[in-house]
Amino acid sequence: MVFGQPHLCRNIRLTTINGHNVALYRHLNKDEESIVMKQLLRLTLTVALLLCSYTLSAQVSFSVDAPSPIAVGEAFRVEFKVDAEPDRNSFTAPGFEGFDVVAGPSVSTGHSVQFINGHQSSSYECTYTYVLIATSAGKHTIGSATVKVKDKEYRTNPLLIEAVTETKSKAEQGQNPENLVGKDDILLRLKVSETELYKGESMRASLILYTRASIDNIDNVSIPPFDGFWSQELSFDNTPTRVEYNGGVYEAYKLVEMLLSPQQSGAIVIPAAKLTARAQVFVESKRNRNIFFGGHDIYHVTRQLESPPVSIKVKEFPAGAPASFNGAVGSFKLNAKMPNSQIESNSADQIELTISGSGNLKFLSAPRVLLPESFEVYDTKVIDNIKVTSNNTSGSITYTYPFVARSPGEFTIEPIEFSYFDPSTGQYHTLATEQATIRVLDDGSVSTTPIISGGGLTNYATTMRQLDRDIRFIHTGKLAHRAAASFVLSPSYWLIMVLCASIFIVVYLLLRKRIRDNRNIVARRMKRADKVAVQRLRMAERSMKEGRRHDFYEEMLRAMWGYISDKFNIPVSNLTKETIREELYRRNVTATVAESFCDIITRSEEAQYAPSAEGEMDEVYANAIDVISKIEEAVKR
Amino acid sequence: MKRAIFYTLFAVVGIVLLPTQLLGADARTTAQAHWHDGIEAYENRDYATAIDSFNQIILLGEASDDVYYNLANAYFKQGQQPTLSRPFSGGELGYAVLNYHRALRLNPAMEDARYNLELAVDHTNDTDGVPQSFITTLWHGLRNMMTTNGWTIVSIIMFACTLTLVMIYLLSERIALRKASFFTSIVVALCFLLSTLLATSSHYAVLNDNRAVVLCNDTTPVHASPDSASKIIRQPSQGVTVRISRSHGEWSEIIFADGEKGWIRNSAIELI
Repeated sequence: MVFGQPHLCRNIRLTTINGHNVALYRHLNKDEESIVMKQLLRLTLTVALLLCSYTLSAQVSFSVDAPSPIAVGEAFRVEFKVDAEPDRNSFTAPGFEGFDVVAGPSVSTGHSVQFINGHQSSSYECTYTYVLIATSAGKHTIGSATVKVKDKEYRTNPLLIEAVTETKSKAEQGQNPENLVGKDDILLRLKVSETELYKGESMRASLILYTRASIDNIDNVSIPPFDGFWSQELSFDNTPTRVEYNGGVYEAYKLVEMLLSPQQSGAIVIPAAKLTARAQVFVESKRNRNIFFGGHDIYHVTRQLESPPVSIKVKEFPAGAPASFNGAVGSFKLNAKMPNSQIESNSADQIELTISGSGNLKFLSAPRVLLPESFEVYDTKVIDNIKVTSNNTSGSITYTYPFVARSPGEFTIEPIEFSYFDPSTGQYHTLATEQATIRVLDDGSVSTTPIISGGGLTNYATTMRQLDRDIRFIHTGKLAHRAAASFVLSPSYWLIMVLCASIFIVVYLLLRKRIRDNRNIVARRMKRADKVAVQRLRMAERSMKEGRRHDFYEEMLRAMWGYISDKFNIPVSNLTKETIREELYRRNVTATVAESFCDIITRSEEAQYAPSAEGEMDEVYANAIDVISKIEEAVKR
Repeated sequence: MKRAIFYTLFAVVGIVLLPTQLLGADARTTAQAHWHDGIEAYENRDYATAIDSFNQIILLGEASDDVYYNLANAYFKQGQQPTLSRPFSGGELGYAVLNYHRALRLNPAMEDARYNLELAVDHTNDTDGVPQSFITTLWHGLRNMMTTNGWTIVSIIMFACTLTLVMIYLLSERIALRKASFFTSIVVALCFLLSTLLATSSHYAVLNDNRAVVLCNDTTPVHASPDSASKIIRQPSQGVTVRISRSHGEWSEIIFADGEKGWIRNSAIELI
């Protein structure tokens, strides 16, 4: 049994409309019929049980439904619906003043039972239908109808129906189905909410198909390009509405709805929108009269539709715009979150500006913020929260201006201004933040110059300096002498050079004897150094032999000092034992030799006035000869 | 002997300087008057008069680097007068650039003129030149530190110093002094060579200066060949500096800073 399976969904609908269900099942074969009958039986039992509880508890609704507006002479249906089984003959129709009753009442009852995953629900509906024709134009009221359900009376609200006399008549009946759909029966129109507005203001444009025929297909819809506008498609309710348009009553289908905002001033023409619509036409058949289906032939009539172009006048902003005006149109509020009033140098902070309201938010540009020169300004961050509503865009935009204060001090941030144009009043409004003061404390670091520059970073200070550049002032003071021609390589140049050279030559000639002598003395001294020393040593030897101790040591000292002086061309007056050691060391004489040389001098100086043995003089003499020969050897190498 | 040398030196200096003192004493007085008129007019923002006065000085042959500099400034300011339909519509920018170049030619060390020239060139559509090598930049930078005559004087002083140091070397008896003077003389001799090279290089750079400035009210076409029917390859605006490579009739072949060649009418350019 199908019903027992809980995961299956079954929807069985039993409708009894004037005995039509019999006709429905007529084509089924015998076996199938018996199954259906069994099922029906079970179903009716269940439904009957369910219905008892349902009708007792449920709220009964009784309503009336009729189209409006309607054309005079047009047949239309009025339906009274009750969602419970009414008591027999309890329905009382209202008086239809102003209308002719063409047909009715016809009663139809519907009953549906639903099984969804084992849950059962059922509904019952009873509809009383009248077909009326309005006899005169104007507003007619259909009064209240009453019905009784379980002896309780229910009543409908009175319904107002507008009847309109159509000035444009419908297509004449004829044999050619093409003529059945008149020129005015299907219309395509672009409806705009404004035809005159300011640049940046928003308006709504909807493409609407008006029809009096039954449309079964719409094709090749071409929406015009909205050049000169910023456009945004809007979502809309696409159920058709009945409207009176241009002297006729139409079904209106909204195809597209756009929010448009002109970006340029002057007259802008929105070109035609196009589409192909196919209408269904029913023609009473002459050839084939069918008992059941009424004997109608269905024809399709295809129509190319074009909406007339729409001209929009876009007004330029009036004169007298504030300096901070940057094209904002609408109505806005400005909120600012200023940085802390006290920050440390080289630390980052930010200014946050929030512009909220409705208008062309999407086209706002960040208000200009002038920060002190020593502030390093980074790229402005923009966060927007914009909603597109049916008439406008609204929401908020937050601009964040990050910066790093480089140098300490007290700085003022000038008020930040934002201006907008209010199209409803035709006036400019300027919003401004409060002036803020920031005290930047020294964080102790020495650097006051920006560390980073370039790469996504704008230093306002440098760009401003670049802009302010101008040429330097003229040279005042006295008129200088006519610029002399360059005299390099000129005769006077050569003359001066020759003169310098000749002075040199003259001086050289004058002093050449001295130069030569100078050079010779030096060379001679160097050459003769040891010879002089030998001579002096010989004199010392003679003194030693003669036993003149004092003279011997004096000669020794003279020989030693003089040797070094001559050899290394150092005046005797400049010599000390230290300098001798240094000079010898520099000339690659070994330290021991230099030490013994100095030792000889020391001993000679000491012995000069002190009594000492004869043999000591011999030793000093021999040592001196040895040391000098060693020095000679070392220096020559 | 020494006295004779001094007399000779004095006479040479006299011969060099005397003519400039004697000739054109009259012209100099007039030039002085124009100079003061020009400065006064400039200060009163009467740039047209200032231009006229400074031009008079140049006509008198009394032009100095300062005269060219002031004239260029006056042209630049005149071109920025608010009465003009747009800046430099009278071709003032071209003249300003030309005269800055002339001031710099006389005095390559004039920093103000270099700064103003750079600023004026920013207003032209001149292209950036091919970047020069480090050595060339260094050499030009060094050369532009002084005028040609400045370098010549340095060269002479260095020569004299070298000779003096050699003499000290020859005469001194002390080894330390001899050594010091010997090495210093070598260094100073190198300085002498360098300054002489700089002076001659600067001298020849001015002598062989084939640069010209485009002068015109608006853009001038540069053709591919010396024929007005030939293809236009570029539209330099006033103030663009070019080099002239050769002339043909009333046409000159010019080379732009980026190396492109083309022919322009002689009337549209003026040599620096």
